Amino acid sequence: MEAYIVGGYRSPVGKAPRGTLRNTRPDDIAVAVINRLLEDFPQIERNRIDDVIVGNAFPEAESGMNMGRLLSLMSMGTVDVPGTTINRFCASGLETIAVAVSKIRAGIADVIVAGGAETMSMIAMGGWRFVPNPEVTKTHPDWYLSMGMTSEMVAREYGVTREEADQFGYESHMRAIRAIDNGYFKDEIVPIKVQDVYYEDGQKKTREIIFDTDEGPRRDTSLEVLAKLRPAFAPNGVSTAGNSSQMSDGAAFVLVVSERALKEYNLKPIARLIDYQVVGVEPYKMGVGPLYAIPKVLKHSGMKLEDIDLIELNEAFATQSLVVIKNLGLDPQKVNVNGGAIALGHPLGCTGAKLTVQIMHELRRRNQKYGMVTMCVGTGQGAAGIFEML
Amino acid sequence: MIRRIKKVAVLGAGVMGSAIACHFANVGLEVLLLDIVPRELTDAEKKKGLTLDDKQVRNRIVNEGLKKTLKSKPSPIYLQSFAKRITTGNFDDDLPKIKDYDWVIEVVVERLDIKQKVFEQVEKYRSPGTLVTTNTSGISIEKMIEGRSEDFQKNFCGTHFFNPPRYLPLLEIIPSSKTDPQLIEFLTDFASRILGKTPVIAKDTPAFIANRIGTFAIMDLMNNVKKFGLTITEIDKLSGTIVGNPKSATFRTADVVGLDTLVHVADYIRENTNDEKNDSFQIPDYLQKLLDNGWLGQKAKQGFYKKVKEDGKTKFLSIDFDTLEYKEDPKPKFSVFDKAKPIDDLRKRLPVLLADEGKAGAFYRQTFYSLFEYSSKRIPEIADELYKIDDAMRTGFGRKLGPFEAWDALGVEQTVKAMEQEGFKPAQWVYDMLAAGHKSFYKIENGLKYYYDIPSKSYKKIPGQENKLSLDVLRQSNVIWENDGASIFDLGDGVIGVEFHTKMNTIGSEVLTAVNKAIDLAEEKYKAVVIYNEGDHFSAGANVGMIYMLAVEQEWDELAAAVKWFQSTTMRLRYSSIPVIAAPHGMTLGGGTEICMHSDKVIAHAETYMGLVEMGVGVIPGGGGTKEFALRLGDELKQGDVRVNRFQHRFLTIGQAKVSTSAYEAFDLGYLRPGVDEVIVSRSHQLAYAKQVALMMAEKGYVQPAPRRDVKVLGREALGLVHVGANEYTLAGYMSEHDKFIAEKLGWVLAGGDLSQALTEVDEQYLLDLERQAFVELCMQRKTLERMQSLITTGKILRN
Repeated sequence: MEAYIVGGYRSPVGKAPRGTLRNTRPDDIAVAVINRLLEDFPQIERNRIDDVIVGNAFPEAESGMNMGRLLSLMSMGTVDVPGTTINRFCASGLETIAVAVSKIRAGIADVIVAGGAETMSMIAMGGWRFVPNPEVTKTHPDWYLSMGMTSEMVAREYGVTREEADQFGYESHMRAIRAIDNGYFKDEIVPIKVQDVYYEDGQKKTREIIFDTDEGPRRDTSLEVLAKLRPAFAPNGVSTAGNSSQMSDGAAFVLVVSERALKEYNLKPIARLIDYQVVGVEPYKMGVGPLYAIPKVLKHSGMKLEDIDLIELNEAFATQSLVVIKNLGLDPQKVNVNGGAIALGHPLGCTGAKLTVQIMHELRRRNQKYGMVTMCVGTGQGAAGIFEML
Repeated sequence: MIRRIKKVAVLGAGVMGSAIACHFANVGLEVLLLDIVPRELTDAEKKKGLTLDDKQVRNRIVNEGLKKTLKSKPSPIYLQSFAKRITTGNFDDDLPKIKDYDWVIEVVVERLDIKQKVFEQVEKYRSPGTLVTTNTSGISIEKMIEGRSEDFQKNFCGTHFFNPPRYLPLLEIIPSSKTDPQLIEFLTDFASRILGKTPVIAKDTPAFIANRIGTFAIMDLMNNVKKFGLTITEIDKLSGTIVGNPKSATFRTADVVGLDTLVHVADYIRENTNDEKNDSFQIPDYLQKLLDNGWLGQKAKQGFYKKVKEDGKTKFLSIDFDTLEYKEDPKPKFSVFDKAKPIDDLRKRLPVLLADEGKAGAFYRQTFYSLFEYSSKRIPEIADELYKIDDAMRTGFGRKLGPFEAWDALGVEQTVKAMEQEGFKPAQWVYDMLAAGHKSFYKIENGLKYYYDIPSKSYKKIPGQENKLSLDVLRQSNVIWENDGASIFDLGDGVIGVEFHTKMNTIGSEVLTAVNKAIDLAEEKYKAVVIYNEGDHFSAGANVGMIYMLAVEQEWDELAAAVKWFQSTTMRLRYSSIPVIAAPHGMTLGGGTEICMHSDKVIAHAETYMGLVEMGVGVIPGGGGTKEFALRLGDELKQGDVRVNRFQHRFLTIGQAKVSTSAYEAFDLGYLRPGVDEVIVSRSHQLAYAKQVALMMAEKGYVQPAPRRDVKVLGREALGLVHVGANEYTLAGYMSEHDKFIAEKLGWVLAGGDLSQALTEVDEQYLLDLERQAFVELCMQRKTLERMQSLITTGKILRN
């Protein structure tokens, strides 16, 4: 039985660790998005929802205690709907959609809320307690290499220059600003009410902010400014704060239903996931993941690169993005048309769902059919999914 | 009522004002820093839609001044967080606040009329009795109080800080004819005890003491420079550290100060004084030309020197006095240096230098004799007591010896004769002194220092020695044991002191012997031990040469025994039946830090730069330092802590060889223990206070601590992090392969090896054994030996 995406929303993306969402919990952001999503479907009784699946890369602290279950409790108004949390690092938000689709296709579920949520302001990369296996790391310390260094390793091995990387980063910002100014994201974004209780001049004060626009893109950036930034991860490295993805806070969810539910509730399908594939690569150069995931998903689905109208390639780093684009011969005019994570941010476990929401809206705006969401994944993986607009 | 200073208002947030505000914050005071309201908006402010009424605009000048100062290097503040003790504001809105302040110090531009206007305003708002001072480098104090009330005049004087105020100890205090003598007494004590300065009470004469004499020394040399036939580089070599002056010597100092500033002061002195050497303050042609060219020194990137890069190498070119072109001087060479350099004691080195028959000797005789003559003739004009001139020159110009101290070292009588032969003639009072049978300007009796008092023709005790102790003064009478590297002093009241006096105060067998001896002695018949010295630095660490020799000879057993001796010595500091206090200052590295960390208590001077820097020579701390870090790590863990993060902090502190930029930072780095160790700002009170604390600990009742068998280590929980971190830093290029090798060893010892159970309790000795084993294994590495060799032969840290 086919599975259909009938709706999708995302929060605006906040900068971490000092952005607007820095004190808003991931569960609160997620619930706001889920509530808005379900508002469009009053006809679906909440206890008919089979599962809430959230992707999260560091499911601990504010994201801990099986956030998926807490989301189902917080958003459904009933204890009946279960929930779970899935982690495939930066592909988590796409993985949850694939899991939802798979469960529905297998006939074991009809209605699933799937997406991702991450607040890097609260839980930084690596989590609160980083304890690598001492035996494994004797021989394979690189399995735990920091993401920044994997970017440098990719740059070294594939020969990416600082100038190319900066140019790519600059383009990301320009595209994102254009998209924001044209209001392309307006319809997909759920404004988040941020209540800020703060201390000033010896007093406790309260203010409420309605946060409704991605705050990552910088209007004041330029190639000159970018060129002046110091390498962030290695003294002679290529990657800087200006050509790497931003740390971010955000959430995004879609509603996936079975054909049966579609008919029962008289829903309008937006898209379907044609295929989704994951690959493993050397952890020290995890950024090349899409280089293998994209051919794999194309081959498995029997599609060709030319069939794909738009690609959301998660910009973990300009270095790895450039290597993927160049080596696979991707058309730069199809890739990240509204900017990528360098400008808009990369809330790890949320990203896959966020890019899915973005690509569905952009394909619809352009009246195009096939879109791909792909990303590299820490510890050496790549993921790619193909969506078809209906 | 006793005057108390709790809140200080600093008026003027320029370079000096901001830095003075920082120093008040350094010592823990609440500070208000004010400057003027800007007259116009900046473009950025206009863009933001701000007006001249907005606070952030009104306080822009003060905020920018403070911010710039806080960023300057070396830092004006012990810890950046101390800057929170400073509140900023502006004259228009915030001056009334000074009514609640105990001390108002004016640091606005050096113009009498402006200063007078400021004081008129200050008078309006200050509360009666409030101390008001001016930071001026030479304007008449008497004129500043014209028109002020009696209360204001009584509570007013000059306080001349030297730049940078955190680092330069001199504070000239200049009373007016109306100043309450009690105020001066109070300020003298406050400056010394609280601010850590050396107060010198000066007369209200142009440029006061230090700048008058110091500027004379520079200008007199500049006016006579051509007759020596020496290059700039040669003169700086001759007038630098070899004679106890700062390394920047003469011309480099002028560049750093700024030639415009130097000329400004010289002009001011020439125009406002009329002494016999007035011509010496003339501006020589070549200096005037440099000024005309705008080559003002460091701030203009060229002055007497110019730094250039050729083929990737940095070179210092210097001016030719005749052609005014920059050229590369040949490396200066003076045969007398061969004789003089090995003499550690400056007082013994000076006679050798002045006796030289070459160009160097001629230079020295001219400059020293001229300075002696001038200094002697400035009494009683600028000061009644000769020690004030020495104090000012030592603490304001960074000289090891002031003119009269140097003169004493050369022998007063024979120098007078030599001066006459060269055409110099000291003041009459010097002849009178000699005629009265007094052969020196200073003498030490019963552990107290006396100066020759000119009016009474007799020696008088230098005031302010109460509550202070100085090894230099005690040296004649109180040394009870010594070897080539260290001395043990009787500090009185049953406390003994250990002084290191090796080169750079490195710790080798003599020092270890002395430390053990002191503890033996104290356990036998004294109450406590204080480890302290008055060298440039407390200690540069263990004597690497000794370790290197054993390693090169592959004497592994002997090396292990030597390390064990070091370890057992530091352990004895803690595990002995008497309290041991370490009182470090300046560079306190490697073994120096290990000695402090094992003492019962550390009384650190605020300017203490501590660090376990052994990585630089290819080893880990082997005198108990690594063990102690593991022990402290275990002790600081609380239920629920993320243990690996705490481990990482300790690991990186040694792994990155972090050195504190102040004693306060040493707490943050874990070298000093909160609640146990203390910081003292006053260097001159440090020894006396450390002794006092030692006595109190003995008095309270001291028992030898029981050995620790409960040191909690993380074991294998921490090892993965070590492997990953070392790999990461190496790949990134922050560390070499050898650094990685050392880091792995460091991690192993800090973790207590690969124990399965985190928080396993182990003995200190178990960790010491791991530490020693790792140390010896590292010494077996060729690259470690290369690092040691580099430090020994070039003094540089090799990154291999």
